[in-house]
Amino acid sequence: MDLTPRHEVEAPDEMRQKMHRRRRRTVLVVALVLIAAMAFITAQGLRNATLFFRNADEAVEQRVELGDRRFRIQGRVIPSTVKSESGITTFEIVHDCVVVSIRHSSDPPELFKSPWIPVVLEGSWVIGEIRNVAGSDTHYFASDRMLVKHTNEYASANEQRLTDKPPEGLLDQCLFEVPAATS
Amino acid sequence: MTSVTHSNAKMTATATTRVLGVLAIAATALMTVLGLLISPADVIQGEAVRMLYIHVPSIWIAYGAFVLTSVSSILFLRGRKRREDRGRHYDRLAGSAAEVGVVFTGITLVTGMLWGKVTWGTYWQWDARLTTTVLLFVTYLGYLALRRLPADPIVRSRRAAVMALISFVNVPIVHYSVDWWRTLHQKASLSVGRRPEITGEMYWTLLYSTLAVTIVAAWLIIHRYRVIRLEELRDEETLAALISSRLDKDDGSN
Repeated sequence: MDLTPRHEVEAPDEMRQKMHRRRRRTVLVVALVLIAAMAFITAQGLRNATLFFRNADEAVEQRVELGDRRFRIQGRVIPSTVKSESGITTFEIVHDCVVVSIRHSSDPPELFKSPWIPVVLEGSWVIGEIRNVAGSDTHYFASDRMLVKHTNEYASANEQRLTDKPPEGLLDQCLFEVPAATS
Repeated sequence: MTSVTHSNAKMTATATTRVLGVLAIAATALMTVLGLLISPADVIQGEAVRMLYIHVPSIWIAYGAFVLTSVSSILFLRGRKRREDRGRHYDRLAGSAAEVGVVFTGITLVTGMLWGKVTWGTYWQWDARLTTTVLLFVTYLGYLALRRLPADPIVRSRRAAVMALISFVNVPIVHYSVDWWRTLHQKASLSVGRRPEITGEMYWTLLYSTLAVTIVAAWLIIHRYRVIRLEELRDEETLAALISSRLDKDDGSN
């Protein structure tokens, strides 16, 4: 009986190289899948994150296209405008000299009481004639979620006291006056 | 760092690391006193500001550890053909630094969530900084998982090194996310080339805390490096014992 192989057996070196190439290809495919998955998560996360909030002036500018859609608005709380009655907190926020009236319906975070604190509010525009420090407006913002956006400025409570004075430059270009808070 | 080379070594400590360990404990104790008792409360955040002294140094140490992982991975990939022992040294260094980096990223996330609840009013928001940080954590966990996959040690180390370099891409994204996108998270408290807006005692406490956490991290990395080396020695010894018992068995049966 002839037991000679019909084809020549591959040299071990050649086999090793082939296996090596195949393994490399597998690792490359796995790496590409991993990168794609990471890119997908990042894109998904950042899609929300890139427009995490609209500043008050932008929200007013885009009022028509926003309609009654939910979104986040950001601005500094004007201390003299804060009022609280039967679980509803009303106040005004300002950004780039644009004032927005807020009607907030849940408990504000602890830091909300700090004057001129920047806040991010979740909610939507509601039609309604309303007066604010800048005059009057046809809409107010109804929110049910408030996040306090503190800055990266830290000052010792021993050396500095909280004042109702607006942060430097915030209202310099504005055409309206902000009344002092009554405590 | 390669002082543990004998298979009969049972411990990872040397005189130097014992001194470093004592220094780490003392530095942490002083950091606690400075952070909790001596440093003042913040004018707006009050006592919650004390989270700053663990949260910020933790992410800086995590960044540093991931830089070390990346540099070691590059050196591993460059040098492995010339000297295998050097290559394995860099691989061990990359692995131990990544472990410590993951631990400190975890600490950053947990302290950040606790701090967030007090200041923002929520534990979590999917803003750019938080999303990229959690992604960083998960990616490096993946890196550590890859290091544990069964494969030829050199092949495994090479894959891990490539993964480390891919994972590192996210580090600058995490850091600059607060500048590139609108986030709930505030801008970086410490940043190269930017004057920190933190008053005296708080600023010095923060710098000191960064130093203290660095000592702790260095101590951990050295010990993890040595544990990895001991694990390798154990595996090599087990393999040698198995081969020799197999050879003895074969000799006995012939």
